[in-house]
Amino acid sequence: MISEKRATFPGGVHVPDNKYLAEKKPIEIMPAPEKVYVSLSQHIGKPSEATVSVGDRVKKGQLIGKEAGFISANVYSGVSGTVTEIKTISTPLNTATYVVIQNDGLEEEEFLPPIDKEDSQAIMQRVRDAGLVGLGGAGFPTYVKMATDEKIDVVLINGAECEPYLTCDHRMMLEHGDGVVKGAKYIAKALNCQTVIIGIEENKPDAIEKLGAYDGVKVVPLKKKYPQGSEKQLIYACTKRAVQPGKLPASKGVCVFNVQTAFQVYEAVEFNRPLYQRVMTVTGKGIKEPKNLLVRNGTPYAEIIAYCGGLTDNAAKVIAGGPMMGKILTSVDGYTRKTDSGLLVEDVTEVCITEPSPCINCGRCAKACPMHLMPMYIDLYTQTGNFERADSYGATNCFECGTCAYVCPAKRDLVGSVQLCKRKLRELRS
Amino acid sequence: MQKLIISNTPHIKSKSSTKRIMIDVLIALVPATVMGVVYFGLYALLLVALSILSCIASEVIYLLIRGEKFKDILNKFDFTSAVTGLLLGLNLPANCPWYIPLLGGVFAVIVVKMLFGGTGKNFVNPAIAARVFLLISFAEAMTTWAVPSVGAIKTSTVATGATALGSVIKGERVISNLDLFLGTGVSSGALGETCKIALIVGYVYLLIRKVVDYKPLIYIGVTGLMTVVLQGSFSAFLPSVLSGGLMLGAIFMATDYVTTPNTTVGNIVYFVALGLLTALLRHLKGTEVVSYCILLMNFFVPLIDRFIVPKPFGYQKPKKEAKNG
Repeated sequence: MISEKRATFPGGVHVPDNKYLAEKKPIEIMPAPEKVYVSLSQHIGKPSEATVSVGDRVKKGQLIGKEAGFISANVYSGVSGTVTEIKTISTPLNTATYVVIQNDGLEEEEFLPPIDKEDSQAIMQRVRDAGLVGLGGAGFPTYVKMATDEKIDVVLINGAECEPYLTCDHRMMLEHGDGVVKGAKYIAKALNCQTVIIGIEENKPDAIEKLGAYDGVKVVPLKKKYPQGSEKQLIYACTKRAVQPGKLPASKGVCVFNVQTAFQVYEAVEFNRPLYQRVMTVTGKGIKEPKNLLVRNGTPYAEIIAYCGGLTDNAAKVIAGGPMMGKILTSVDGYTRKTDSGLLVEDVTEVCITEPSPCINCGRCAKACPMHLMPMYIDLYTQTGNFERADSYGATNCFECGTCAYVCPAKRDLVGSVQLCKRKLRELRS
Repeated sequence: MQKLIISNTPHIKSKSSTKRIMIDVLIALVPATVMGVVYFGLYALLLVALSILSCIASEVIYLLIRGEKFKDILNKFDFTSAVTGLLLGLNLPANCPWYIPLLGGVFAVIVVKMLFGGTGKNFVNPAIAARVFLLISFAEAMTTWAVPSVGAIKTSTVATGATALGSVIKGERVISNLDLFLGTGVSSGALGETCKIALIVGYVYLLIRKVVDYKPLIYIGVTGLMTVVLQGSFSAFLPSVLSGGLMLGAIFMATDYVTTPNTTVGNIVYFVALGLLTALLRHLKGTEVVSYCILLMNFFVPLIDRFIVPKPFGYQKPKKEAKNG
């Protein structure tokens, strides 16, 4: 069922999406690399503990990192082979313990045991065992999100994909729509909830049509606006419920899952496959052949770039994720994680290198802010060291979507100010 | 592969820039400037040019004295002082002495803008402050208004006359609305404010470029309605809206980003207050007060911004929460 009205939220900004680069490219399976470097810290929460040691032989789908505490997640091997090293590696993104596995190319599999698909407790446990985390980018353990005491009456699947350039969720809905819908229904069953809503931005009409044809789910076409895929904004657009600052969506009876998370739930429940691979978009004008790739967890970025034809001569910026919230990479010496939705290479025509100039108080940032904060004052008071005052304008309510910095005519680093303010406040308040 | 660029999110930015906004304002003021020259002669052009020059020179010299390199100043130049200069020029009587724009420009840029920290830090609109400064300092020269005439550009002599506004508001002297609209007839005034159609063309340009929005209309509309209330006659609406510096002030001076509130609600409060104040003072004083009103309301902007702060998305009053929970 497709809802007729286009839904949206107050605030936000129209950003050119540049999705044409990879939109029409079907998902391609990237051959497993010679060596995978699997991080034991690729989710929010405690890093998992290695369950293998150097020299052990592992199979595809075998547990290599066990969750350490409630907010943590299991980590699985994406290849079969031998563990050659377990060591701490510093990548441009983080410093963590990595399990390095030499791929023997045999692709021997060892998946989880089958479960009763009708049992909600069993599905819940499977989500936990399979090491599922939010695949939209945050990486919050899915099980923890589902283990809420609140009554959930809406399972919301996030197919907005409002980040420009990224197309992996779009391709996922087109090519594996069946799995996405089934996964969403398993989640709903586990949560004992009747309503499944899928929010999709209107720039993906084919996906809206495809998923709208399934029974038992309601597709809500969303206005194309950034940040439409942000949790609270999406909930408001689809259900008109406004989650209070500092509260979880569950407080309003809603749980939000990315389309890829839903698909992985389907894989884990139907095929007992744990999370060791995902689809990511490799795009940007700085890459020769933009692609949507199914990659194993721990694949080196450099090999992905090489597989996509390499960088162009004008490549200027490499980003893990989308252009609005993605993390900048100082080099390509990184390894894919569960949360990597994209690898974006901007060329010189796409980057903005204008120096920041003084704020002219135009108020565009406040007008565009989806959280209704006042970024200009957060910036002003953070730069002058008055962090408490900066917080009175909402610094801690900011989720760093970058809308303010995008619209700023003075090109001020508003997101940087918010990050600094949050860090200083944590120091002050601890 | 060249060296990778490292910067914070977001990694794409909109095309707008301070410079681009200022250039848009300059472009929007071109019709008004052209009509000023058509009505008041080439001397008007000289006044505007001197005003712009004075403003830009003041900024550059100030920064040079502060020890900045000329190349850096040139790179950082954002055209704000050019906008100040042009607006100041358009606010002068077309026959005032040449040194008035020079002095006004220095006051606007040095005293009002640079001493308070430069672009974005001026506490009132520099052009308005300079105009008021000049009005106080050169009361006679600043209130001897030239009468517009289309032939002025050919003949060098310009007739002078009293500003029509006072009498228009009181309903004594009758100038047709069309004359007020086009700036023809005896509707004398500052050289940029007489031709309303040129100002409207500029406003439409700024609307298309999304530099300003509907808010100047609030100011203009409230002024007109308040005048109707004060005079008890609907026929007072158009003359009050079309006369004096209201349109120039509402579209180009009151909307100055730096000296307007930062929130939508704050802006509405600001513009409504401006309209009420303008109509009231006009009624009481019988003379043009737009500059003074904008100056006065500029002082209230920090106060408005202090008290009108939007609540974060999803915010609920704690009381209500206690009841529910």
